[in-house]
Amino acid sequence: MMPTISVLGALALVPTLFAIWIALQNRELGRTDTHFIWFSNFLQLWSDRRFLNSIKVSLTWEFITVPATMLVAVLLGVLMFERCNARWRNVLATLFIVPVLLPRVSAAFVWKFAFHPLFGAATFPFRALSGEPVDPLAGPVSALFSVALVDVWQWGLFFAVIVLKLLESLPRQPFEAARLDHARAWEVYAFIALSMLRGPLVSLSFVKMIESLRAFDLIYVMTRGGPGISTETLDMYAFSQGFIESGRISYASSMAVLMMVATSIAFTYIWNWTRAK
Amino acid sequence: MSRLNMGNRLAGRIADAVLVLAALSAVLPVLWTLVNSFKNRVDIATSVPRLIFTPTLDNYLYVLSRESASAGLVNSMVIAGVSVALGALLGLPAAYALARYPGRWTNDIQFFVLSIRFLPPVAVAIPLMVIWLEVGLYDSRTALIVTYTLMTLSSTIWLAVPAFKRVPREIEEAGVVDGYSKYAVFFRVALPVASRSLIAAVAFSFVLVWNEFLIALMLTTSDAKTLPIVASELTQLGRDVPWGILNASVILLSLPPLLLIGVLNGLLNTSLKKKD
Repeated sequence: MMPTISVLGALALVPTLFAIWIALQNRELGRTDTHFIWFSNFLQLWSDRRFLNSIKVSLTWEFITVPATMLVAVLLGVLMFERCNARWRNVLATLFIVPVLLPRVSAAFVWKFAFHPLFGAATFPFRALSGEPVDPLAGPVSALFSVALVDVWQWGLFFAVIVLKLLESLPRQPFEAARLDHARAWEVYAFIALSMLRGPLVSLSFVKMIESLRAFDLIYVMTRGGPGISTETLDMYAFSQGFIESGRISYASSMAVLMMVATSIAFTYIWNWTRAK
Repeated sequence: MSRLNMGNRLAGRIADAVLVLAALSAVLPVLWTLVNSFKNRVDIATSVPRLIFTPTLDNYLYVLSRESASAGLVNSMVIAGVSVALGALLGLPAAYALARYPGRWTNDIQFFVLSIRFLPPVAVAIPLMVIWLEVGLYDSRTALIVTYTLMTLSSTIWLAVPAFKRVPREIEEAGVVDGYSKYAVFFRVALPVASRSLIAAVAFSFVLVWNEFLIALMLTTSDAKTLPIVASELTQLGRDVPWGILNASVILLSLPPLLLIGVLNGLLNTSLKKKD
């Protein structure tokens, strides 16, 4: 065991520490004169409009995708639990995990093509009704929502299956007692089931929060951060600073370090929460 | 009473309809892509989606004969295969030790293992790019394999620990009584008994690296490009987009994870089952 853990430790700690190391320098791709500039990358970030914009986009993205995913998951999970027998639950569960298993590149393309203004299947009703092409990925607001739709499509349906399994794991007695008291179905779920599942549901939201921080694949394929910089999230901006535009590796790394800190805080929360139970 | 019943019935119908719609939304986009992958360009690039057409295999033949795509396929298979194998080889014994011989650090180790799964990929990719450039392994399969082993190892350990814990202790003790050594108990008792969950755990780590995009994008430029990178480059083509070819390559890319759906569904079932 010890050798494996040390391999894992080396594999994980080397890049992590190196990321911090690089973030304190002024490294650029194709240049050799590197020296330490300590925290000036971090200071510079706060006067960088595009960085501030990307924080705004990332936060908006979190505020759209996390609640939407949880809402879809709880709604569909409860409906499956209420309406389906074991066999149908299994069928639906299998179908619902299809989107999340798709490589994100595939999911992004499937929907990018569905949103195509001229040939897309999803835009077809609008074309048929208005007679004009609509391009959901061209408007700054609609682009963000369209990409978010794909994210919720992947994660909401998958989490619905988890919610179903969580409901199945609950003891039956409180439900039966409530029914004897003539509680309505929605009351049983709202007041009994979901409050019993509060811990796991909060953990799931945290997992989704971390997962939403890595929306890169979807955004890269669907919009490349555009139109303009309206869908440029933190990881997308770090990528373009480090690779596409200027090759400012150190600057990009300082953003990555900030993301790492945010992720660690959220993760420690999840861990303590689930352990306390 | 009867009015209430009718209301209930209606609510039930609506609930069923919502479920059916959700199920359709889960699979229809994928099926539509599958259908499109058998179409000629003229049948895809239509304003009204076309359901009746003469199917063709040209798109698949083109993708498979293209050098970049087949190179990407080989790279993906080698890189995913080796890193998954390494993850299982190193990870399963470690998980067994964690499950059976808990020590003072067990909890911290598990925290650490799972936290790796949550590291933002950019934060890993940027420093690794610099490291691989300096070592001269940038854009090589080796670099990606080592990097991906970090992912397969952590996810394998994370999922295999509970799988080993579910193996009844009595069976292992019976093995000890039969004169098995510690290693024999691991190989001849624990591994076979837990095999179903372990296979699922390994399958999960495969899906993880097969689908991985951002790290591969940052660590490769030509020689070691994996299939997702090749596919995404196709989607960025300019005006005369070969839509059929694109759909075909997306289907090829998505097939391996979808083929594992049964195994992974089972994993979800066992890991979330009620703990008695």
